[in-house]
Amino acid sequence: MAAESSQDDLYRQAAAGFGDALDRLARAYEADADTRRDLLQEIHFALWRSFGGFDGRCSLRTWVYRVAHNAAASHVIRQRRANAAVLVGLEEIEAAPDPNDGPLAAGRREALERLLALIRQLKPLDLQIIFSYLEGLDAASIGEITGLSPGNVATKIHRIKTILTRQFHAGGSHVE
Amino acid sequence: MSNELRPDDLGEVWRRQKVEHTQMTLDEIRARARKFQRRILFRNFREYAAIAVVVVFFGATMGKYPPLMRAAAGLMIAGGLYVGYQLHRRGSAKTLAADLAPASCLDFHRRELERQRDLVLNVWSWYLGPMIPGLAFMVVAAGLANPGHLKHVWRFVSAYSAVVALAFYLVARLNRRAAHRLQRRIDELDAMRG
Repeated sequence: MAAESSQDDLYRQAAAGFGDALDRLARAYEADADTRRDLLQEIHFALWRSFGGFDGRCSLRTWVYRVAHNAAASHVIRQRRANAAVLVGLEEIEAAPDPNDGPLAAGRREALERLLALIRQLKPLDLQIIFSYLEGLDAASIGEITGLSPGNVATKIHRIKTILTRQFHAGGSHVE
Repeated sequence: MSNELRPDDLGEVWRRQKVEHTQMTLDEIRARARKFQRRILFRNFREYAAIAVVVVFFGATMGKYPPLMRAAAGLMIAGGLYVGYQLHRRGSAKTLAADLAPASCLDFHRRELERQRDLVLNVWSWYLGPMIPGLAFMVVAAGLANPGHLKHVWRFVSAYSAVVALAFYLVARLNRRAAHRLQRRIDELDAMRG
């Protein structure tokens, strides 16, 4: 009974503290609104279940992001099998020619849509890093969540900044 | 006035996007948990039901068969029980996501790839292979039991066995290639760990 109550409390705490971030995480993984709602419920359910075994080995935030990413990545793998979609890595995007030819008159909303389009074509691990970067997490936290070495996280973040600068800067992107 | 977007500005754009504030009540979550348990139970039932059918069918009827066919039925039962034991041991009906919840994303990916690799690589040894002796015995026994119906029984058995062996070989080769591809991806992940 006490364990169940602790599980419920932890879930409530996580949903209150990270609910909005989980919404954004689901948006990063899934474009379709209905499927996204299902995914978000799946993530919330996975979180609640996982708190049955929460042992405090890592912070609540790391735990929440790990569980959410793992649930969402499973969803992406299932969808990819169903749709035969090809996902790419940051390296491939960095090496590809700039898809934006000419100036981009982008407001925040358009920038966000383009950002989401960019993120959704990434392989799960790269998606997890760019998401964490955009959420404002530092390299150490990203390393803890993803399991990547600090050196690899630093390289990936550098790559992400290069890609973002190229995609949102070179064409004359503006914030209104 | 307008400002150029920098990567750090994009973080702000990202975090300030409109969200739906989706929440699930604990009652909704418990209802989903019950549904989830039912799905797992059904999956377990499906996996073991086929084995139970094999064991019950051959167990109930083997007394009526001639000796060679009885041996074949015995091998089918043994094969079915072995597959059931392996299913139980490997925990195929367990919930992977729950087991791996606390794992880092990289570990989760790695274990998922390992699971897929082992599945394509070993499925023959524990899932399909154990049924082969029983099936082979059954083909031979059926041929011998009906000599009048089949003129060249051994030729038929040989041709049948060759076709089955070729199909098994081709599938095994495809599986090996898939396993190598998965192993390459696992190695890439290991390199990222540093």
